[in-house]
Amino acid sequence: MLVVSKLRKSYSGAPVLDNVSFEIPEGTVTGIIGPNGAGKSTLLKIITGFETPESGQVQLMGKKVTSFYEKMSIVSYMPEYIEIYPEYYVFDFIDFVFSATRHKDTGLVTALNLGSVGFTKIKNLSKGYKQRLKLLIALANTKPLLVLDEPFDGFDPIQLLDILELVKAENRKGRTFLLSIHQLGDAEKICDYYILLSEGRVVARGSIEELRKDFGTGESRLEEIFMAALI
Amino acid sequence: MSKFALLLKKEIRDIFSSKAALLFLFLQCFLAGYSFCSAVSLYSNASVAAVNNPLYATGFEPVPGVFVPTWGGLYLLYSLLLPFVVIPTVVMERARNTLVILLQVPFRLSEILLAKVAAGFLFLVFSLLLMLPAIYIWHMLGGHVPLGELLLLNAGYLLYGLFVIGVSVFAGTLFNNVAGASILSIVLITVSWIIEFGKDMNVSPLMLGLAGWTTTAMLKSFEHGVLSLSAVLYFVILSVVFVLASRSFFDVEFNIRWIVSSVVLLAAGLGLIGYTSFNVDVTESHRNSFQPAIVQALKKMPPLEIDVYLRRTDSRFRDYEASFLKKLFLVKRDIRVKFIRGRSLEKNYGLFVYRVNGKSASTYSNSEEEIFPLLFKLAGINNYGECSREHFRGYPLVVKESQLSLVRYAYYVVLPLIIVLAIVQRKFFSKRRLKL
Repeated sequence: MLVVSKLRKSYSGAPVLDNVSFEIPEGTVTGIIGPNGAGKSTLLKIITGFETPESGQVQLMGKKVTSFYEKMSIVSYMPEYIEIYPEYYVFDFIDFVFSATRHKDTGLVTALNLGSVGFTKIKNLSKGYKQRLKLLIALANTKPLLVLDEPFDGFDPIQLLDILELVKAENRKGRTFLLSIHQLGDAEKICDYYILLSEGRVVARGSIEELRKDFGTGESRLEEIFMAALI
Repeated sequence: MSKFALLLKKEIRDIFSSKAALLFLFLQCFLAGYSFCSAVSLYSNASVAAVNNPLYATGFEPVPGVFVPTWGGLYLLYSLLLPFVVIPTVVMERARNTLVILLQVPFRLSEILLAKVAAGFLFLVFSLLLMLPAIYIWHMLGGHVPLGELLLLNAGYLLYGLFVIGVSVFAGTLFNNVAGASILSIVLITVSWIIEFGKDMNVSPLMLGLAGWTTTAMLKSFEHGVLSLSAVLYFVILSVVFVLASRSFFDVEFNIRWIVSSVVLLAAGLGLIGYTSFNVDVTESHRNSFQPAIVQALKKMPPLEIDVYLRRTDSRFRDYEASFLKKLFLVKRDIRVKFIRGRSLEKNYGLFVYRVNGKSASTYSNSEEEIFPLLFKLAGINNYGECSREHFRGYPLVVKESQLSLVRYAYYVVLPLIIVLAIVQRKFFSKRRLKL
């Protein structure tokens, strides 16, 4: 589904991504995990075409995609920071997204529990509901790859279970997810594969079993593996 | 609904529901009402002496007398406030990162920009529709409504507004904050005021040359009742150039291709404008043009040189320019006007010297009855004919002060109330139409 090869990017001479390479198989949920400033968001922006790398390339569905709009037809991207039109009512906004994406199934609204806040202005929503609205934008289209930057921020533990279930359900339909997550507990609940990023470099990657083999024991949690990999 | 129509609907909603737009429309109501009352009052007072004097009455025309002063308020609003309505629609899309949503949906960047310009243009149309009551009330008061001239006046303001939208969109794409973009757009828009001021103050020959190319000068053509293809092209090309250039900055990464395209278009456009000389006097009095026989004879005449022994700021030159030179330029472009300086100027002050085919003749008169025989004699044109045009009777109108209360009622009460009701409807009743 996605092949990233030797990506390099720096801002004002300071390297942000240094020789980053990995692959993501189709139909999986992959988590990019790493401390703040590791380059997670920049990596996602490059994959989705919102930034250009200094060198390296991104292949989507087996081919090198250079056109931004071609990337947009394959990838659904939701950055961490978006202030969705604050003056819109939730239903107004959903109506706009659904009309534009030709999405007809209102089950998504129910699944995200947005029906109860339909007549609320977006500026008055809690952080959790704003996150749901962001997820709705990403899920409303039928693109095969979903790239989501910190999608689980702002949810309480009970809400999170619903959202994780929703992501799993979409994943079961064959959609591939690439998620940037800084809460390792959340990542462990949903991801099939992990890419550990530190200071712009991939320090480890693989399934939890593969990571345990390289950096821990048979019982190690992701947090312990992560710490061991960083050291 | 097509995807672009959906985007346009969103942009229209964004622009019309903004507080800046509502404030703009409120101000427009009061400004238009005040300007209209003042203009009608002055026109009416001057008309008292003309009602029973047919000769004096010929000088009374509703467009320059009433409608141009009324629409003048729009010029200020468009120049100084319209950027505040347009810019946030561009800036906030990037500042809030909602551009990412639109690109996901997916819309193309050019579509998004075009929808913003189109929504701004529709706002302009709406703003001009608010001026319709003034025309209707004038008609109700018994005033004459010259449709052609009024259409031209509105077309001029629509084109000027389009230029302001182009500049605002350009400024909006350059900055990530409304304040910076607004300052830049107002500077770009008011450059023409500075040039006009420089011309009036006789600052430099450069200002003089540029003064003919300012937005103010081009808009005047519409106000004076001259449909000038150059002026139409000028506004359209400048608007497109600014929107094209803005596309360079309204991208995922800066893209110089659009700036290059806009520079090429600007160069080609300026060439085209310089080459174009299609002008039509749409006024009922034909106040901007000479008699048809004179126009035909002027078109046959070789290039003309005029030596002016007057200072540019002299009121006699201003009269000469308004009553003769401007009309001449509408017919002929191969005219060179030279201002004589130094001792010769003092010696022959007030003289005009005309040169055609190497021969010259001079006169102190600025009357066309004196000048044309001289010119045609120099050009060797003997039978240029004298045909009188249809007599323009003029439209003086005396309006009682009490009748103006209708204007005040419409612009100070009814229209603002409609806007308030629209806001209330939007704020409190819009939930009812929400459905999924």
